[in-house]
Amino acid sequence: MKAFKNFHPVSLAVYFLSVLTVLMFTKNPVLQAEALVGAALFLGALQGVGTLLSDAPFYLALFAMTALTNPLFSHNGVTPLFFMNGNPVTLEALLYGVSLAATVIGALILCRCFCDVMTSDKILYLAMAASPKFSLVLSMALRFIPMLVKRFHRVERAQRTMGLYSGKSVSDRVKFHVRVFLSMIPWTLENAMETSASMRARGYGKYIKRAEKIKNGKNVKNVKCEKKKRTNFSLFKFTPRDAALIFVCLLSFGISLLGEAFFSVGFEYYPRLGALRLTAWSAAVYAVFGAVTFMPFLIEVKEALVWKYCVSKI
Amino acid sequence: MKKDILSVFGIALILAVLINGTHIETVEEYYLIHIDDITPESETVTLSIRCDTVLQNYGDLPPSLRDEEFVPPDGVILPPTEYVLREGDSVFDVLLRAARHERIQMEFQGANKSPFGSVYIQGINYLYEFSLGPLSGWMYRVDGEFPRYGCSEYKLRDGQNVEWVYTCDLGRDVGAEWMGESQN
Repeated sequence: MKAFKNFHPVSLAVYFLSVLTVLMFTKNPVLQAEALVGAALFLGALQGVGTLLSDAPFYLALFAMTALTNPLFSHNGVTPLFFMNGNPVTLEALLYGVSLAATVIGALILCRCFCDVMTSDKILYLAMAASPKFSLVLSMALRFIPMLVKRFHRVERAQRTMGLYSGKSVSDRVKFHVRVFLSMIPWTLENAMETSASMRARGYGKYIKRAEKIKNGKNVKNVKCEKKKRTNFSLFKFTPRDAALIFVCLLSFGISLLGEAFFSVGFEYYPRLGALRLTAWSAAVYAVFGAVTFMPFLIEVKEALVWKYCVSKI
Repeated sequence: MKKDILSVFGIALILAVLINGTHIETVEEYYLIHIDDITPESETVTLSIRCDTVLQNYGDLPPSLRDEEFVPPDGVILPPTEYVLREGDSVFDVLLRAARHERIQMEFQGANKSPFGSVYIQGINYLYEFSLGPLSGWMYRVDGEFPRYGCSEYKLRDGQNVEWVYTCDLGRDVGAEWMGESQN
């Protein structure tokens, strides 16, 4: 049971867009930490703690690389730690690198949550209004990578079962993975073609002609043709809960951006670290944005507890 | 396994080259405590660094830079000071030596990275290019004239007067008229 997934697609899209936008624009360490931790907990609740821990080395390595690259190229800042090739490596540049890394990793994790929550049917439903072609391409593009990974493991297992590439040498293994990967690309692209052909065969996105006899007209040949788009069937219902989610998201989005621009939520790293000022406005921003980022995790946990409780009563 | 040993060797080689090319100094080592003494027979130049135009456009300055530490109230970052001119010194060499002695922060783009083959000064004393709009940055003047080439290309002679000035308008506000010529 995935509770957060049951929200209306529009609410979910507003949720992800608002949190991502604030995360991309803010340099405030409090907001960044909230978004990063909230997204990581959400991903843990969605995919299990095991998956999160097995992915952690990748995220940590990327985090360290992003954080350490910035001081190599940016030498602004009042606190030089040491000089490398005549250029200062400063504390401020290092901390700015950490902030950049938090933004990148946070956005990455949030996008993984997005892929997990926004299934193809929801994306189709949302983008149908814009263009059926666009919505189909979008849903196929978002499905591309997970499908690639799944099929990669399938081919890999099959090759191993046949006794191929069992060597322990690192270079052999790299060669094996490259080979499997190259075989994946045409297969997956072919899949995209098949999907579009199959959707066309079903009449997806096509106009339908509805012929109606003109009233009182005795002449049967005189027929009015009306063009109408095919509609998609969906079970999504917009409830007050969804409206509440949209309201909270827009509220946090609005006060964060306003605070960033006018009310001391903004933060500067260069040339000297800014101070985090706690005003009424910034406290409100931290509280509301924190609530929004941690909400999906809390909803998932609550739902899991309810489920456990119900199962125990049977 | 042979291949693995080879690749380990290759990675070790790359690391060795990288480490060999990196020169690390502590803060104390970088800032010069002692600078060449001026003797009666030594050749000298005068160097000054000013940011008066920043004071004129103080309202446009990013809030994080509005501090007396970064923009001195009189606009003088380095008052006219005499420095010993070594054989073959360019404007850049003297500036770098002065900055390392006076502990003035400075960031520059090396001559090998610039398309003009000359060093480009990006920022002095935390005042960077573009800190005050798209036409702002550091320029230098030798005996009142703005030379038309990079600071590491200009070889200095005895007794010359070098001024580094911050411009907010592509040089027009500090008296360099030629910068806008090509556009007109």
